[in-house]
Amino acid sequence: MSRFNPYGDSSGGSSLAIAGADFAILAGDTRHSTGFSIDSRDQSQIADLGDGLFLTSNGFSADAKQLVDDLRTQIKWYHHNNNDHKLSISAAARTTMMLLYGKRFFPYYVNPIMIGMADDGTGAVYSFDPLGSYDREPSRAAGHASELLMPFLDNQVTFANQLDPQTGEPRKRLDLDLQTAVDLVKDAFTGAAERQVQVGDTLEIVILTKDGVDRQYYDLRRD
Amino acid sequence: MFLTRSEYDRGVSTFSPEGRLFQVEYSLEAIKLGSTAVGIKTKDGVILGVEKRANSKLMESGSINKIEEIEKHIGCAFSGLTADARMMIDHARVEATNHAFNYDEPTSVETLTQSVCDLALRFGESGEGQERVMSRPFGVALLIAGYDERLGPQLYHTEPTGTFYMYDAKAIGSGSEGAQAELQQKYYSNMTMAEAEILLLKVLKQVMEEKLEAKNVQLAKVTKEGFQLYTTEELEKLVADLPADVDQDELAELS
Repeated sequence: MSRFNPYGDSSGGSSLAIAGADFAILAGDTRHSTGFSIDSRDQSQIADLGDGLFLTSNGFSADAKQLVDDLRTQIKWYHHNNNDHKLSISAAARTTMMLLYGKRFFPYYVNPIMIGMADDGTGAVYSFDPLGSYDREPSRAAGHASELLMPFLDNQVTFANQLDPQTGEPRKRLDLDLQTAVDLVKDAFTGAAERQVQVGDTLEIVILTKDGVDRQYYDLRRD
Repeated sequence: MFLTRSEYDRGVSTFSPEGRLFQVEYSLEAIKLGSTAVGIKTKDGVILGVEKRANSKLMESGSINKIEEIEKHIGCAFSGLTADARMMIDHARVEATNHAFNYDEPTSVETLTQSVCDLALRFGESGEGQERVMSRPFGVALLIAGYDERLGPQLYHTEPTGTFYMYDAKAIGSGSEGAQAELQQKYYSNMTMAEAEILLLKVLKQVMEEKLEAKNVQLAKVTKEGFQLYTTEELEKLVADLPADVDQDELAELS
């Protein structure tokens, strides 16, 4: 007899975030699937939490949805208790940690990524594991294609373990400009859609700058 | 009017027919018996000052503590029942620590003040889901001074009624009426910290029964750098440098 499994395998595809000196990008594909069958080709997985915060949580999508609801409730209460002051990205990250660790013994099966503009005006990316361990990072990928996306980001954003051919010194991380970062995101997803069946259909990109939010959409493979 | 006793005097959760809660009103009287405490806000920080009333010459004045740190960036002076103040300060410290733990940021001064006022109403019969902490209203008023990134320096006054207000300068306790009138006259908004120190000591000096000395006052400041109590040496210097008994400004005005 098979035991009931509380965690299903329905999920959004993959997501990816890059932080810049004055911007932050969060991107995800809009394919939603269960196993090998496609549930939807236009299911956005980027949640607008308000206060200039955006979140993706790859993994089991019912848990992801619940986490977004929890966070929205927390943010509403923070406003009530703190004279409507905006929840900063660092405080939102800690709140997310408290929610995730609060379910330490029946965790949400998710790998969240949150972006926002930090208090000092820099773009911020925070990533989490399902139990709430979190960190601010220059870039992060999660979801089905994270194994394909993350090495590409390590190579192109952080220049991890690369030597400068001229000097032989470790290659210094550049401050990415926005266009280069958007191009990297597009390339990363085009590549991932090539090899991962759960990734495809449309690429949704949220770009955060001091001027506000910009959403862009690009076609991906639909097969 | 307070002297006419009625049966509505006793219950803390019963309104009188005129719509008053006598026990809460009496708690305000308890504050008027307390030693005077003064707070002054400047653009760089807030200064708190209290008079320390020793009951006996044999008493160690250093054991009287009427200004306490709540968090690195928040301090508080109080007037009224000291033991009640300690309960509120304990509560405030827990709330401040919890906020820092839950949000990875120092609590705002207003949020902290609000949480202290939430405690002020937890007397009488217990409500659903709320623990009753006191059988009677708290007999203490607080001057909460703090500095945060959002609003800079701030000064709040809390009462046993659970209300709080923000002030530029405020006096509480037995000498509060005279002290507040004096503050009203002498306070100006672009005061420096040094000027506020002098005004605060002058105001205390006027309303204190004893002669003002370094050992019968306590001063603290909250600036961008945080809460800091004045040392005995600093107090001695301030008291010594204080202009003589008669207010020079007033003399000038009279002549």
